[in-house]
Amino acid sequence: MNDFSDIESELKKLQPAPVEANLLARVEKALLEESSFPTAAVVARKRSRSANWISLGLGLGLAAAAGFLMLARVNDNQSAKNQPSVAAVKPAPNERPATINPGRMIPSGLTEVVYHTRDEGLHYPDGAAQPVRRMRYHTRETLRWQNAQTGASLRVSYPSEEVVLLPVSGQ
Amino acid sequence: MENVVSNNEDWKECFSQLAPGLVLFARQWVQSRADAEDIVQDAFVRFWRRQHSIQNRALLFATVRSIGLDLLRRDARRARREAVAVLESDQTIEPHFSGGDESQRALADAVDRLPQEQREVVVMKIWNELTFQEIGTVLGISQNTAASRYRYALTSLKKHLLPQ
Repeated sequence: MNDFSDIESELKKLQPAPVEANLLARVEKALLEESSFPTAAVVARKRSRSANWISLGLGLGLAAAAGFLMLARVNDNQSAKNQPSVAAVKPAPNERPATINPGRMIPSGLTEVVYHTRDEGLHYPDGAAQPVRRMRYHTRETLRWQNAQTGASLRVSYPSEEVVLLPVSGQ
Repeated sequence: MENVVSNNEDWKECFSQLAPGLVLFARQWVQSRADAEDIVQDAFVRFWRRQHSIQNRALLFATVRSIGLDLLRRDARRARREAVAVLESDQTIEPHFSGGDESQRALADAVDRLPQEQREVVVMKIWNELTFQEIGTVLGISQNTAASRYRYALTSLKKHLLPQ
């Protein structure tokens, strides 16, 4: 860097233009104004309707998750379901973790209610000799979690759609 | 710059020492000194409100740069109009440096003509005394890259001003 010592010294002779005299006062005023809005950890929030925003955010998040799950469930699963129930309720799983971690939410139940079934007729899947019947089920699934220690529970419910291809017997 | 203190009570001293260099740094993105001072004010208040240590100069300069670039993007149309207006009129841009003789003014003009990525390194290094590591942090580049840009800039300035 020694090669540049001459140009560096020339540059350092240049003095940045002074700032406006009132800039300091402006910053001071801004800092004073800002001090009336300190961090949330210090001053309680004044907005009484903040809970609505939290609810809205949570609702939107759950709606997005539900939409994602609904799309994910739409599939052409070739595996036949022999007993397509119009309405099915799955019991809550009996399995419990070997050790209960206090403060942890554990799944406590899953309910799936089929509220609409549509028979979309016979179809011939690619390369298949036998026709299949395509059934479309609209369901609502509800997942529940519970904290074993505090008893707090969380429930998420979302709509889903499922397409099932049923092999048609030759009878 | 070394005697900049981190005590909250002495923010005025901190700001007085840093402001000219910060405004010079901010003027890379705006034509007018007033706009540059607004950027510096906004950045310093934001920086101070979050109780960052004033020793963390890289973060302060990064804040100024971020606000400057935001303003540039937001007001690009206005900035272009202003630039055209300045070019078409006899109005001169407020000088970035005070005083100086003819050769120093020529040097200041040469600095202005440097590519942006080299000029900001020179401004931080020469007039704000940041280390290459700090400059790298501000710009999100390695300190070797910062040093390289600095060398290119000084080589260019030397070539223009001190012809062999």
